[in-house]
Amino acid sequence: MKKALGVFAWAIVAVVGGVALGAIALHRGEPISATWFVLAAGCSYLVAYRFYSAFIAAKLLALDNTRATPAERREDGRDFVPTNKWVLFGHHFAAIAGPGPLVGPTLAAQFGYLPGTLWLIAGAALAGCVQDFVILFCSIRRDGKTLGEMARQEVSERGGFIAQLAVLAIMIILLGVVALVVVNALKSSPWATFTLAMTIPIGLLLGIYLRYVRPGRVLEASVMGVALVLFVVVAGQWVADSPAWAKMFTMSGVGLAFAIIAYGFAASALPVWLLLAPRDYLSAFIKAGAIFSLAAGILLVRPQVLMPPLTRFVDGSGPVFAGKIFPFCFITIACGAISGFHSLISSGTTPKMIQREGQARLIGYGAMLLESFVGVMAMVAACAMTPGVYFAINSPATIVGASPEAAAQTISSWGYPLTAETMTRLAHGVGEQTLLNRAGGAPSLAVGMAQIFSNTIGGERLLSIWYHFAIMFEALFILTVLDAGTRVGRFMVQELGGRVWKPLGRMNWMPAILLSSALIVAAWGYFLYQGVVDPLGGINSLWPLFGIANQLLAAVALVVATTILLKMGRLKWIWVTLLPMTWLVIITMTASYQKIFSVNPRIGFLAFAKVLSGQIASGKIPLEQIGETRRVIFNQRLDAVVTAVLAGMILVLVVEAVFQWYAILRRRKVPVMRETPYVATQWAEGD
Amino acid sequence: MRRAWKRIWRGMRRAWQGLREWSGDAAYEKYVRCVRRAGGGEPLTAAEFYVEELKRRYSRPNRCC
Repeated sequence: MKKALGVFAWAIVAVVGGVALGAIALHRGEPISATWFVLAAGCSYLVAYRFYSAFIAAKLLALDNTRATPAERREDGRDFVPTNKWVLFGHHFAAIAGPGPLVGPTLAAQFGYLPGTLWLIAGAALAGCVQDFVILFCSIRRDGKTLGEMARQEVSERGGFIAQLAVLAIMIILLGVVALVVVNALKSSPWATFTLAMTIPIGLLLGIYLRYVRPGRVLEASVMGVALVLFVVVAGQWVADSPAWAKMFTMSGVGLAFAIIAYGFAASALPVWLLLAPRDYLSAFIKAGAIFSLAAGILLVRPQVLMPPLTRFVDGSGPVFAGKIFPFCFITIACGAISGFHSLISSGTTPKMIQREGQARLIGYGAMLLESFVGVMAMVAACAMTPGVYFAINSPATIVGASPEAAAQTISSWGYPLTAETMTRLAHGVGEQTLLNRAGGAPSLAVGMAQIFSNTIGGERLLSIWYHFAIMFEALFILTVLDAGTRVGRFMVQELGGRVWKPLGRMNWMPAILLSSALIVAAWGYFLYQGVVDPLGGINSLWPLFGIANQLLAAVALVVATTILLKMGRLKWIWVTLLPMTWLVIITMTASYQKIFSVNPRIGFLAFAKVLSGQIASGKIPLEQIGETRRVIFNQRLDAVVTAVLAGMILVLVVEAVFQWYAILRRRKVPVMRETPYVATQWAEGD
Repeated sequence: MRRAWKRIWRGMRRAWQGLREWSGDAAYEKYVRCVRRAGGGEPLTAAEFYVEELKRRYSRPNRCC
């Protein structure tokens, strides 16, 4: 009877999910309620978790709860700490949830709501969650080894080195791109710039409190910090209203870029307790609060999704970024569906803290489902504003024009009605001078979030406060990724550089710290500067580059996972990782090829460089702009080389792995597993 | 009624403990318990442990994109 009830309940969940998916896929004409999105995503995730992850756990991985995990065998209270599964779920989710699932879907909304939403749901269930889950399992069985170490041991020495280089390259591109998102969100906005700037002294204050006054009392410090941050969000309005203060905090893109570069250097070189860690604590609480508030707001307000399911830009002519729906929708969504970066967390702290192998299903697969849900919320927030407003905020001035009138005329001519007055009124409503040409996804997401929040609490009166709260939330946790990433990048530079020049590898030697910090900051700072001076807004070329890099790392993780599973003799179920791996290799290679060789100058780096060179040769570029144009040409060629190198590295790894698989399958090579030997758990069931 | 209150109280205490563990507030207590259980000598002070833990945590990828 109980079983029959269970079957009946799951049948209902599946039917509701199917109907909701059908509704958002087949709906045409009138706006559609966001409730359908919540139902489609929620029910699909429940079914995927209940059935697909259970299948992977039982058939593919054969999780064994009698086997002691590294946290039990090597418990030391520091790295190896057995942790309650729900606490660890929270840790893991906080670590994997970054700005990607917010920015990616917002940008991909230019294709309409449908392609992005479907890929967010299907990609997460069939690829992203699988990657996180399987890599977590592999790392648990290898004493918490990192992805790079597993690649070296299980695929080849070269494979490990390639994975390490790929991680560093991705980190550099990622940091440059996310910094650009912050610059575009703060540009010419004294309110937002003041609010974010104030989080630095607040962070320093908390750092000193946590180090000297009440060591390690994170909760009380965070409560104080969050209260102060909320105060500066409100105080930002006074700054914006005062001509003298507003002038001080109104910064250009280039000025902001240099300020962020200086901040990144300081965060990397200063003691970690002083600035980086306390800001991270603040960010974690505000992130959790904002994400849950957004989900609650969407459920309460149930906004209408005004964006059509498919826009005319599926043909690749989009103003936000150029490129057809295949492969660029998948590249742009990136982390909301699958993120290579997650494999670093799944093979980092989490495997060292897990109590039972069986919990890998909840933590590896489940946390990624929640991340995907955040992506769906971001998609809803972006699509809940009128399409005209969305395109006006996210398109560069070179395409839609710099004035409200010009933008309104261009965007209306595309079939998305917009008046100049709408943009002026909206900018005034959120307390900004202008919302035009704010590419990067953050401002449009903030507008969407502010509209949802103000419909829940405060109405129009609080719209500007909510907008700046959303901007602060996005910028704060993007900067957390930036400073933590810069520091980790510094360690990688020291580790790799130490092979060439030993003193550089000394982690406590100040000149080595300063030099490696400068190197890593210069690397991502270059990409940031390049994006700021790019006439197309930077995001147009840099976000796809980041997407390609991120998805390539996911391909690396799936290559490693497939190799390990093959060695375990799981040939029958190998498609579980092999199919997403193949898909990722296809989309990343296609995107890489198009970004390098496409003859369309808005897509191909080399084609754009050629057009600009031609314009210089034919005298179309004014004399005073020739220097800047040559810089843009150089940057385009550099982007082409970076893309080619990344794609080349991954191809080498895939070819090596394929040769190894062939040798194993033809029994020419005895598969050697590097699993730690079985040790029975000493913990009672339910511990 | 009393039983219901007891349950609610227990649930709230569990949630509070979970929040402390998640945020890192309880990390030092956990470390001290572990050192005492293993008989591993004198544990670090709270300040030493805090700084050491941060150094370790921020030397590897701990935040995603």
